[in-house]
Amino acid sequence: MSIKPYIFRIASLILCVSLGLMLFRGIAALPVTEKVTGPASHYLARTAGETGARNVVGAILFDYRAFDTLGESTVIFTAVCGIAMLFSRRKFHRSSRGLSFIAKRGIGIMVPFLLMYASVIILFGHLSPGGGFQGGTIFATVTVLLCVVFGSSFESQYFPPRTKDILESGGALLFSGIGLIGLAAGTGFLSNIAAGFPAGIFGSFLSAGSVPILNVAVGMKVGAGLSTIFYSMIKMLDAGHDHREGGGIE
Amino acid sequence: MTLVLAIMVPLLSAFLVPLFHLARKTLSVGLIGIMGLASISAALAAAHTGWYSPAVSLLGGWAPDIGIALVGDRLSSAFLLMTAIGSGAALACALEKFGGGPWRFYALFFLMLGSMNGILLTGDLFNLFVFYEIFSVAAYLMVAFSMSWQALEAGLKYLVLGTIGALFILLGTAFTFMATGVLNMALLAEALASIPRETLTAISACLVLGLTIKTGAFPVHFWLPDAHSSAQTAVSALLSGVLIKVSIYALMRVCYIFFLGTNGAVFLAITVIGSFSVLGGHLMALRQDDIKRLLAYSTVAQIGYILIGIGCASAAGAAAAVFHAFNHMLMKMGLFITAGNLSEEKGTREICGLTGLWKSHPLWVSAFAVLSASIVGIPPLNGFMSKWFIILSSAGAGTVIPALVIAAGTVISAAYYLRVLSAFISPDEGSSDDLPPSVPRKPRRRSVSFAIVGSFALLCLVLGVMPFSPIFREYFSSIGQTAVDVEAYVGLVTGR
Amino acid sequence: MILLSYATAVIIFCIGLYTIMIRRNLFKTVLGLALMESAVLLIIVSSGYIPGGVPPIAPFSGPAVNPLPHAFTLTAIVIGASDIALALAFIVKLHRHYRTVDLDRIRGLRG
Repeated sequence: MSIKPYIFRIASLILCVSLGLMLFRGIAALPVTEKVTGPASHYLARTAGETGARNVVGAILFDYRAFDTLGESTVIFTAVCGIAMLFSRRKFHRSSRGLSFIAKRGIGIMVPFLLMYASVIILFGHLSPGGGFQGGTIFATVTVLLCVVFGSSFESQYFPPRTKDILESGGALLFSGIGLIGLAAGTGFLSNIAAGFPAGIFGSFLSAGSVPILNVAVGMKVGAGLSTIFYSMIKMLDAGHDHREGGGIE
Repeated sequence: MTLVLAIMVPLLSAFLVPLFHLARKTLSVGLIGIMGLASISAALAAAHTGWYSPAVSLLGGWAPDIGIALVGDRLSSAFLLMTAIGSGAALACALEKFGGGPWRFYALFFLMLGSMNGILLTGDLFNLFVFYEIFSVAAYLMVAFSMSWQALEAGLKYLVLGTIGALFILLGTAFTFMATGVLNMALLAEALASIPRETLTAISACLVLGLTIKTGAFPVHFWLPDAHSSAQTAVSALLSGVLIKVSIYALMRVCYIFFLGTNGAVFLAITVIGSFSVLGGHLMALRQDDIKRLLAYSTVAQIGYILIGIGCASAAGAAAAVFHAFNHMLMKMGLFITAGNLSEEKGTREICGLTGLWKSHPLWVSAFAVLSASIVGIPPLNGFMSKWFIILSSAGAGTVIPALVIAAGTVISAAYYLRVLSAFISPDEGSSDDLPPSVPRKPRRRSVSFAIVGSFALLCLVLGVMPFSPIFREYFSSIGQTAVDVEAYVGLVTGR
Repeated sequence: MILLSYATAVIIFCIGLYTIMIRRNLFKTVLGLALMESAVLLIIVSSGYIPGGVPPIAPFSGPAVNPLPHAFTLTAIVIGASDIALALAFIVKLHRHYRTVDLDRIRGLRG
């Protein structure tokens, strides 16, 4: 019975415990916050006036710090590109026939409501909690449900992979395009009211300038991306074992 | 405006690549070349702006504490120049080898280029994390691109360790935000002076640990040899030459701006890590049989040199570190491209199998000889110059042990590079007699790769002589001074 | 009490890190990553808490909680999910070659 793995385990345990103690001491040394200070107080006080959006978190994500959101949706774009690349050599052999009749009928009734729910969350992201990411994820969930309940060939008939590719690139280009409008107007990349987007009436659907458009762009991108990830992986599992290896060049 | 374009042009190219692929099946080399040229010229324009008129670009028009600011100063422009040259060379090699076929590879390449420029230009800590993640995900995928089992395993190891590093950076960012409430790096430089001592320790530990994991310094370097050796030639050159430098930039920025005035122990830790990397990297390289793994371990050691330079916490040290980073990019990219092409010709990556190359490819072997001489540190070449500057700056900081470590490292690296060169020069073992005479072995024409390697070797010779001219020395020391001058950075961003 | 939330998050972070370090099964490594990520997100969200605060949707009926950590968390969740999805994709591909997910057997690259 070798002692070496036990030494390693004990050493890692000591390392992790000391790391945890150091982190906790760092947190505990901070004073308790009674009220919001710094940039956050600026956001809370001035969002309604400067952006026209009711949802302060949405305004931060799509107006003040919209560049972070562009970066984050690019992370999804990269991951989707990569996963599609990893599973690109599997051709579709067969798909499962799906679940039982009751499941199919039940999901058939629910899907329109799910799609409406997802759309509401995306489109009203500037007025209530929600936004592009949350709604896009629900869209992707709908496609996952269709894959599981009806079989992947049914789902790829209704949402072919080409459409998803176009939606994803389209969402990214829409986001960048709105940013470039701001750059062309001279007020800075990804500027909102200053670049001329109409602020609208506070609290109405058509308000907050470019925030709803950016919500839609991100919703397209995230929904199509997550759906492509699931479809790539399920396509491989459905196709059965295949011993061909090779380079990744398509 | 040029600062934003340096980031957006590559990202837009990456977003357009799938649409072009849907329109026609294979992209033409010319199209990718045009997009590459556009991205590189945008990066060079931003470098020019940063050098002659340091600029701040406030995205969305919001003030720095409310929104995100992009900052271009001399340090950023030096690294922008580095990444422009390096990625241009890698793109040319990849285009020559693959053609326009693998469109996902080029999409990932442009995403990586855009995110590298993003890291180099951002002035906001959370934005740095986001772009670092784009850059890392693209890097994991490019390592795994060839999809052999070694590449997948190396990619997974890189992913796990890289994500741990990213989570530490995120944790450090979270602590910073909890302590001060702002995330702009310039404003943080002022705010960090007044937070409790234990929190500052936690922040510095998390940030430095996360950034050194991503750089590949000694205790947590395990992903580096696998990733750099299992990737394709152009990708290995890009990883070792360019990606590591961007990680070094992030470490330099964060450490100099946040910890120069507040927490001096960070620099001592970096010097120690650097010294261990030098010794560990060289000693492990001595044991390798595979030429690409040997070069990867040599990269670990060279990172150690750069970290020793950063750890001096002075303008001279920063300038020496940047100079060594630039030289290492030239040398290591040339070495990887040469090693990749020569091992493809011979069909093996074992050093003992790479024999008789002096007869068949004399130009390649002589380029390799020049590059390896400069990376070892033979006097009139640039490797010696940058190592000398690092030794001078660490002596100026008052420590003697790093200088001894560097000297020992030079001796060990001479040993293993001589071993590789002697294998190249030794006569062929007669393996080519096994082929039937009806299959002639025609050497593949890799003229673009050779042009790149040859020009890098020439640049090594030129840069070895240039430090004797005072104009050059003045340029490089101004980079070092910009790196450590925190008040100037804060003044640039806040306009005071 | 908010300090309890921070303590829980730090403990979960250390459990995740420990899991990754003594890993044997690749899936447990990915679970360790997910634990670490969740812990960091919990720390970020807890930092925005104001006693008696309301959600940051204008108009406010009282003092609103800090909206900035919520924005960071949304971004970090997406990034973390992409990383973990990529890790799982790698594991599925590796499994097809090695027919196992035990790390001691998947040690082709040594030295």
